[in-house]
Amino acid sequence: MLQDLVFAMSLGSIYLLFALGMSLVWGTIGILNFAHGVIFMFAAFVAYLISQEVTLGLPLLVLIGIAVGALMSVGIQLLAFEPILRRAKDFRTAELQILIGGIGVATIPLAIAQHETKSNPFGITTSFDSQTYEVFGVRISTTQIIIIVAAVVFSAALAIWLRRSRHGLALRAIGVDSETSSLMGANRARLAIGAMGLSGGLAGLAGVLLTLNLGAITPESGDALLVTAFAAVILGGVGSVLGVVVGSYALAMIETWVLVNTSGTWVAAVSFGIIFLVLLFRPQGLFGHAEVRRT
Amino acid sequence: MIEWYESNLVLIQGTIINLLLALSLQVPFRFGVFSFAGIGAFGIGGYAAAILILEQEVSAVVAIIGAMVVGVAVCWVLGLVVARLGGLYLGMATIAFTLIIAVVAINGGERTGGVIGLFGVLADLPTWTILAFALVAVAILAITERGAIGRRVEAVREDPELAASIGVNVRRYRLVAFVASGALGAAAGAMNTIVRTTIGPTDIGFGIVVLALTMMIIGGTRSWLGALIGAIIFTWLPSILESVGTWQHLVYGALVALAAIFMPGGLLGVMTDGWRGLQRRRRRASRGTSVVEDPTEAEAAAAEEPAAELAPLLDAANTGERGQS
Repeated sequence: MLQDLVFAMSLGSIYLLFALGMSLVWGTIGILNFAHGVIFMFAAFVAYLISQEVTLGLPLLVLIGIAVGALMSVGIQLLAFEPILRRAKDFRTAELQILIGGIGVATIPLAIAQHETKSNPFGITTSFDSQTYEVFGVRISTTQIIIIVAAVVFSAALAIWLRRSRHGLALRAIGVDSETSSLMGANRARLAIGAMGLSGGLAGLAGVLLTLNLGAITPESGDALLVTAFAAVILGGVGSVLGVVVGSYALAMIETWVLVNTSGTWVAAVSFGIIFLVLLFRPQGLFGHAEVRRT
Repeated sequence: MIEWYESNLVLIQGTIINLLLALSLQVPFRFGVFSFAGIGAFGIGGYAAAILILEQEVSAVVAIIGAMVVGVAVCWVLGLVVARLGGLYLGMATIAFTLIIAVVAINGGERTGGVIGLFGVLADLPTWTILAFALVAVAILAITERGAIGRRVEAVREDPELAASIGVNVRRYRLVAFVASGALGAAAGAMNTIVRTTIGPTDIGFGIVVLALTMMIIGGTRSWLGALIGAIIFTWLPSILESVGTWQHLVYGALVALAAIFMPGGLLGVMTDGWRGLQRRRRRASRGTSVVEDPTEAEAAAAEEPAAELAPLLDAANTGERGQS
């Protein structure tokens, strides 16, 4: 039982690191980035390619993951999403085109990774040696501890940054009313790049950490995580950091429970069911505000 | 001609099936409903037809119609359930629905063949039957693109509040879009299963969503003609571009991204814009001589200009097209 809890906590932390960035850009600059899953995967993939050449320690691998994720995310923003926003006649059409463009962009790194690995799982070789401790009969590894600590620290930092800093305030203002906030001096294009970079960095960090924890991931694992993270964001409420935290851990707990108590591969159905139930009965999510636009 | 037909039979059938698949995504899109439910119906229809043929030994046409009934029923219920969602929320909810079909299929045990899927789905399906289904579908859709119905559909898409204020039952139109996409997707799925004699969970995954989206976005979202253009390109392109091979998905993805950024109207949109531009220039050219001779007439021509600008739009309205400007 406690062992399952540890598993759920580390799983939820990965969801959290991944979903934080997704929720940040969606809740502020209104971009639902469908390439988020592939950024997560490709950051781990680049770390894998580098680890084939030189054996690195954990800090460097993590930095590589964050850098690759942030660069990809900013690149997609500059080359795809920003041009779409500039050309679209209104925000509603832009939203859909961004989703479609994201799906298109996402297939490119995926195809590259699939081609290189022949769709086999890939792992990162590292000099970092993960120990397994046993506390009161519960096993927990160093990697798991790092994942949980990273998730908690980053979400707390993000929440404080959004609340306290001027940039955070500007980003939140854009989320409420993009036009008015730009009249008041918030530079939407620059803040969007920053938010996308932050979001991609978090995805890259999650990618490297999950690969180290599991030993190996498949190139396709980003797609599944995308739907799961979407469920976590919906459950918590778009744009609310506390919501994503609660959503991610709740989802991980439910999934772990299903995994332990059923035989089949029904785990994948959990996020789907949650998306549906929440959208039907509480579309603003547990911690969202009712006035947020849904249509 | 007959020789060409026989050697390319698989591709011809594939084109028609892909047309129906693209339409199952395009119809809700044209109604302003961003729904991927049609792709889910593709999987449901594919499995329904396989099970009907394997267990009940029905004929191909009965299997297709049975699959369509199942697809329509599921999408109708789904449409009722997600009626209050819109935009991205609807898109993601229906993507989740679509991806879950494969999970259900994997957990279906004997009946769906689990991870491996179903094999030996043998039924006689002549090409003219496939064509007949497609022609009926296209004829019905062509009606919804013209005249009063076409304008109502356009109003529901572009401005639902305005449409509701002038007495259009927006909810009903949206539900119709769900049902239609269910029927089209299920028909395409059933035919795909029968033509290939097999279906498995990997056939109805994310790849099929990307393929349908690619065909619709590259071809054009505003008319069935766009879906046809997309279906033709992406059924025949792989066989022509054999060298692309394993990079096929990369090429598709890049094309979707480029189309989403630079030509949101698709190839059809580019073509209609080009045609309109050509007509406009021709009208100007025919007036060109009078401009030099008599300045007053030139003014008259300039005053006429808005009407001249409207003419191609009216033409376009008749064919169910709409400008991107």
